[in-house]
Amino acid sequence: MDSINNAKEIISSYNRTDGKKLRIMEVCGTHTHEIFRLGIRKLLPESVELISGPGCPVCVTPVGFIDEAVMLALDKGATVCTFGDLIRVPGTEQSLAGARSKGAKLKTVYSPLDAVTYAEERPEEQVVFLAVGFETTTPSACLAVKKAKAANLKNFSVLGANKTMPNAYKALKNSADAFLYPGHVNAITGTKLCEDMTKQGVSGVVAGFTAAELLTALAVTIELSQKGEPFFRNCYTRVVKPEGNPAALKLMDKVMTPCDSEWRGLGVIPMSGMVLKDEYADFDARKKFGLPKITGKPNPACRCGDVLQGKCKPCDCKVFGKGCTPMHPIGACMVSNEGACSAYYQYGLEG
Amino acid sequence: MSEKYVTLAHGAGGKQTSELIDQVFKAHFSNPNLTADDAAVLSVEKGKIAFTTDGFIVSPYEFAGGNIGKLSICGTVNDLSCMGAKPLYLSCAFVIEEGFPMEKLEEIAAAMEKTAKEAGVEICAGDTKVAGKGQVDSVFITTTGIGKVMENANTSGKLARPGDAVIVTGDIGRHGCTILLARDEFGIEADVTSDCAPLWNNVKAMFDVTDDIHVIRDATRGGVGTVLYEIAGQSGVGISLESEKIPVADEVRGVCGMLGLEPLYLACEGRLVVFAPKEKAQDIVNALRACKYSENAAIIGEVTEENAGKVIMKTEIGSQTLLPQPGGELLPRIC
Repeated sequence: MDSINNAKEIISSYNRTDGKKLRIMEVCGTHTHEIFRLGIRKLLPESVELISGPGCPVCVTPVGFIDEAVMLALDKGATVCTFGDLIRVPGTEQSLAGARSKGAKLKTVYSPLDAVTYAEERPEEQVVFLAVGFETTTPSACLAVKKAKAANLKNFSVLGANKTMPNAYKALKNSADAFLYPGHVNAITGTKLCEDMTKQGVSGVVAGFTAAELLTALAVTIELSQKGEPFFRNCYTRVVKPEGNPAALKLMDKVMTPCDSEWRGLGVIPMSGMVLKDEYADFDARKKFGLPKITGKPNPACRCGDVLQGKCKPCDCKVFGKGCTPMHPIGACMVSNEGACSAYYQYGLEG
Repeated sequence: MSEKYVTLAHGAGGKQTSELIDQVFKAHFSNPNLTADDAAVLSVEKGKIAFTTDGFIVSPYEFAGGNIGKLSICGTVNDLSCMGAKPLYLSCAFVIEEGFPMEKLEEIAAAMEKTAKEAGVEICAGDTKVAGKGQVDSVFITTTGIGKVMENANTSGKLARPGDAVIVTGDIGRHGCTILLARDEFGIEADVTSDCAPLWNNVKAMFDVTDDIHVIRDATRGGVGTVLYEIAGQSGVGISLESEKIPVADEVRGVCGMLGLEPLYLACEGRLVVFAPKEKAQDIVNALRACKYSENAAIIGEVTEENAGKVIMKTEIGSQTLLPQPGGELLPRIC
């Protein structure tokens, strides 16, 4: 309890007289969720603003990706294996849930390896796994592909939208004064990339997920920000080692290679994605099924893109809570429990 | 029973139906009031009767801590108990899928017998139908029950008042967690058993302490969180919870953490939410803690005049938030 009280003391005593706010962006959906659940915003002084950034894999997955998945399921007759939340994300015409009501075959999985097992058990079906997520989930997608290749599976492939964080921080550097780095991602990637970014003026602190860890990370951010120089600090040392997880990094490097990637609302960020290497091309669903280039059209009323960059709050969006609710989401940020819009909606104005 | 599986003939009303009833159901449900006629004729004391019905379609039909048979008795017994009614008589209707193993049906009937005995109710009437393969999933059971309302009992979801304490009769979310794991979709193994239990004795013990109990509700589908929102709405009051006082077993908390679920929204099948004046609350909790199935009873919050219709959570860091309203499906978090 001491560390919680100390952190609370530092946070609440922060005072700024220049009328500006210290803008801290959390870039992890789990952080967003915990910040709301614990009521952390209520403890912040006027001069600190928390912005929910693009750290929920569901929220940053572009509309075109959903359209591709729908096409695979409906037109190509593939069985689509996916993490649960993705089913309800709106595409240009429909979500995967909508496609299911028209006969698309979907299977919710908790791990990419479950999709491989599913494919092994059903050689008569073409199984496509929707690989979304950051460095935390990408290694397991790589493992799934590696396993499928070893087993010479002809009926398994992945539709990839894997993303990597570092270049997103750079793209967002004008949206926030400091980032709360997602501890789970740094547990894989280590700390060097984030440390190096201080040279480019990007500040941040690696944060864990308990109440004490989150409050400590916020307190450290507030303290370091007052020194007036770009900073980095690892506040999640019990899990995050400087070298990260070498085995996971090696696996990713073996199976995938960096590529440009489209982020919902943020556009294409150079070298912010991962794609299967040529030797694994047989497992790339886009190539396997000859998918055309699809450009999704998001609902023009939806401001998820602005929300993800901290340019507006969810409640500033015209459809928030009216046309767009967790039961009937228009934008991706309303779908997942970890999306900023969903959190604002569910926690009311208490946020 | 000579056959190993339930067939359509078992539901056709002829010889096989009689055999099934005699050898499985009558063998287990035997009591003087169990009828062979079209309806049971029962004696009921003067006073108020509570009357309720509930359908059970749980998948899988057996799970750690029980099966659909036990569940079907507990569900109706607990609904009656929540009204301060001593459960007296039950009926049960089975819809069984063709090809269902007879051995499993026996196990379900045996669990019903055991649970009914424990709860002090008699199963007096029943019905059996067999549906073609694929028309139902394994076995569905509907139970209907009658209970005698105690003279000193007057409970309703409309009666929560500012100044009431909110009590739960045990650690929450076990049943929902058990079922999620039993479906084997997540590749997670944890030692969690359902809380499924008949709770009349626990209700009786509370009324032995005081008549002044305003609301009792069993936190089944939707869990404790859903019940609290229902009561806040029905009574037009606010509810303030203290997160650290809500009992949750470590293993349930662990599974919820991995899947991104809130234990307050997981179903319980042997937990009651009770509203009673604060000054009586500790005595009620003490009485509950002395009873089987409610050893972990706890006061988790209070009723407020402000924030009508809402449930507010005081969090472990001394802040407060709105408890999100339940809704949608239970889906695992993806990262």
